[in-house]
Amino acid sequence: MSAPATPNPNAPRSTFPFAEFVGIRFGSILIAVGFAFLLQVVGSGLTDFMQRILVMSALYVTLAVSLNLINGICGQFSIGHAAFWQVGAYSTTYLSFFYYEKSFAQGLWWLAMMIVVGALLAGLAGIIVGLPSLRLRGDYLAVVTLGFGEILRIISVNVEFKKPGGTDTVGGSYGMNVTPTFMQIWPSILLAILCVAVCRNLLKTHHGLSYLAVREDEIASSAMGVNTSKVKVGAFVLGSMFAGAAGVLFAHYNSFVNPDMFRMDVSFVILTMVVLGGTGSITGSVFAAILLNAVPELLRLVKNPDGTAGTITLAAMLAGGIGIIAMIVCLRQIKTKFFGTAGKRVGLNLATVFGAFVLMSILNLIFRNFPSLVATSNPVEQLRMVIFAITLITLMMLRPQGVFAHHEFSWTWVRGLFDPAKRRQGKAVEG
Amino acid sequence: MAFGSSFLAELSFNFSTLPSQLANGILLGAIYALVALGYTMVYGVLRLINFAHGEVYMLGAYVALFVTWMFGYRPGSDMSLHGQGSVVHLAVMLVASMVVCAIIGMIIEFFAYRPMRSQPRIAALITAIGVSLLLQYGGQLVLPTRPQPTITESVNPYRESSVRLPIVPAKKELQEKANTALANAEEATKAWEQLKPSVKDEYNLTPDERKVKDAFMQADRTAKQAQREADTSGVMVILSIGQIAILAMSIVLMIILRTIVLKTKVGRAMRAVSHDFDTAGLMGINVGAIITLTFVIGSALAGAGAMMTATFMATSISPFYGVLPGIKAFVAAVLGGIGNIPGAVVGGLLMGIAESLVKWVGYSAYADAVAFVVLIIVLLFRPGGLMGSDKVEKV
Repeated sequence: MSAPATPNPNAPRSTFPFAEFVGIRFGSILIAVGFAFLLQVVGSGLTDFMQRILVMSALYVTLAVSLNLINGICGQFSIGHAAFWQVGAYSTTYLSFFYYEKSFAQGLWWLAMMIVVGALLAGLAGIIVGLPSLRLRGDYLAVVTLGFGEILRIISVNVEFKKPGGTDTVGGSYGMNVTPTFMQIWPSILLAILCVAVCRNLLKTHHGLSYLAVREDEIASSAMGVNTSKVKVGAFVLGSMFAGAAGVLFAHYNSFVNPDMFRMDVSFVILTMVVLGGTGSITGSVFAAILLNAVPELLRLVKNPDGTAGTITLAAMLAGGIGIIAMIVCLRQIKTKFFGTAGKRVGLNLATVFGAFVLMSILNLIFRNFPSLVATSNPVEQLRMVIFAITLITLMMLRPQGVFAHHEFSWTWVRGLFDPAKRRQGKAVEG
Repeated sequence: MAFGSSFLAELSFNFSTLPSQLANGILLGAIYALVALGYTMVYGVLRLINFAHGEVYMLGAYVALFVTWMFGYRPGSDMSLHGQGSVVHLAVMLVASMVVCAIIGMIIEFFAYRPMRSQPRIAALITAIGVSLLLQYGGQLVLPTRPQPTITESVNPYRESSVRLPIVPAKKELQEKANTALANAEEATKAWEQLKPSVKDEYNLTPDERKVKDAFMQADRTAKQAQREADTSGVMVILSIGQIAILAMSIVLMIILRTIVLKTKVGRAMRAVSHDFDTAGLMGINVGAIITLTFVIGSALAGAGAMMTATFMATSISPFYGVLPGIKAFVAAVLGGIGNIPGAVVGGLLMGIAESLVKWVGYSAYADAVAFVVLIIVLLFRPGGLMGSDKVEKV
């Protein structure tokens, strides 16, 4: 009986495909840089407002992905990510205030230097926060990270520095200007790409696998020889370094910082991006960061028919609220009680959403007749955080594992979508 | 915070104000403890950090405000109509805040947390953050914010009186000086009061009238100055009636809570659920009802705390009124060992005292940060909180 030809394990392995290895890596770097500059070229044609959305989305992608490294990939529950962001932003602000004028590095060189310095300082903060994580777990660790952020914020509110011999001060609750301004788009995009690439590639290394092991079971991984202390602090340091770099870019882009920009809410927003995208999924974090940053901002563009800034009446808000509650209740019912085919389920869901919108319009038409409900109207842009909150609650109710759950984007999956043979095969396996 | 900021004239260790500041710290701690109880009870039962608890607190303050408006203390209304306020008004405010907060807590639990019960904890936590943001920013759309409302002081009938507990009596000659100055001031006040009805134009006084008014103001100032000097020569704890009411009410509420938890059947069920969720259900306890009850009690306590701070400390109310007290109370709960009811009280008191000590030293700007510093230090040495269990996890 002849066994099928199995490759001989002792045979010499084929030579390392050096050209392919280098080519793929250089190719991806080129593509990344090219993408950043493409966005720069395209973006510089847009309005300042749209450019800002673009840059902030990229910065939030960096923040969300780096928090995902701590929270989702290493499993340490940190909810104070804005602190590291602040460390980056404030370190460059202070240093620029004191040293930019007499520095040898001007312009972009200064920015590059500050990114490194900011990242290092934020990494130091990451060590400080990461060390308690060796002793604390779960909610206790979460509170310490939150508290660290608050301590930093309160210190930054109260501390003011004066230039020796000068009168200008830096720091304090009113905030301060950041002297060299860099309004380009590409540094933020490049940083976001770098962050995503590092996190993605990390997961394919020995080091990254130990992160996952600690997330899944700390005690078991420790028994398997993983140095859990090193891993936990390492995750904090790496995550906070990216946040610090993003803070540097933010300070120089915004050219103004104040302590209120780094409140707990911001940490919660970043955490929300991670969870909404799917804890542990880098794709999810990217997706959620762009969505949650851009969509509420775009509400500012909503205009009334007469061209003034958009307003919304109490009647419309009430109708919307009732419609959304009805929609959530119905969708949850479908999710738990309906056992038909996938196609029917999707159809039912779509019908529910459509029905909710119809209900909202009808209710709005009814409520409009009550003068007390139409008397006051609020600017639409005030609704931003409300919509944010509603999105959060809705998604947690309907898909608590996040949009992408633990899945990652992969080209194989995309190829599978366009390959009828594979699709049929997949169906056959499912059936 | 409104508390104690008037004591902060000097940046030093002024031991004559230390007892007062400690008393302030205990009062502040009592409020933190009341709010922390809500966090810790919910955590004990559901293992959920109820981030919306601070917003329940905020709504409690608004309810108290609306009740005062119902009684006619609206800004711009004629304050003389309802006179000096009454205890009945205060009691109605307290009960209304507690009841409405309890209902709000129940609604939040029913709509937001109940569907999340079978989900991973982080999903429930994110929902809690979502509810908190919704209440803050939704409140900004719906609730009165501009001008920032405050509960008028005239609702408190005893706002003028205070209790003075001398620990070290004031120097005799200074006290006598203060007494005579006070008598002078009273005389001058009487003279001005008599003259007042006959004054035609209050902003354009005749020289004679001006003289009387100046004398009255001067005497008043001297009397206050002398009294202050006398006070600082001794050690005295000065408490307003409102502060005493806060302390008494908090103690009463905590005793009621303790009785409920330790002595009643419901309390036993509550303890069982917090001990083991599933087994308690198997033993015939209606877990859902117990969880609802936990939210109701916790929210009612937060409502009481909010009503008392908003009324007796006259802080201005906004939709973000609950953020800082909420987070500090949460820290207090963690400090004491989250899930542990006596721990929450201890943590709250400790935080209140730490905060007012920092204010006493003169770093009032850092008072909000000290809570977290204390927390981090305590957690480094006792990772499970002061009274919590710090079990080492084993396989």
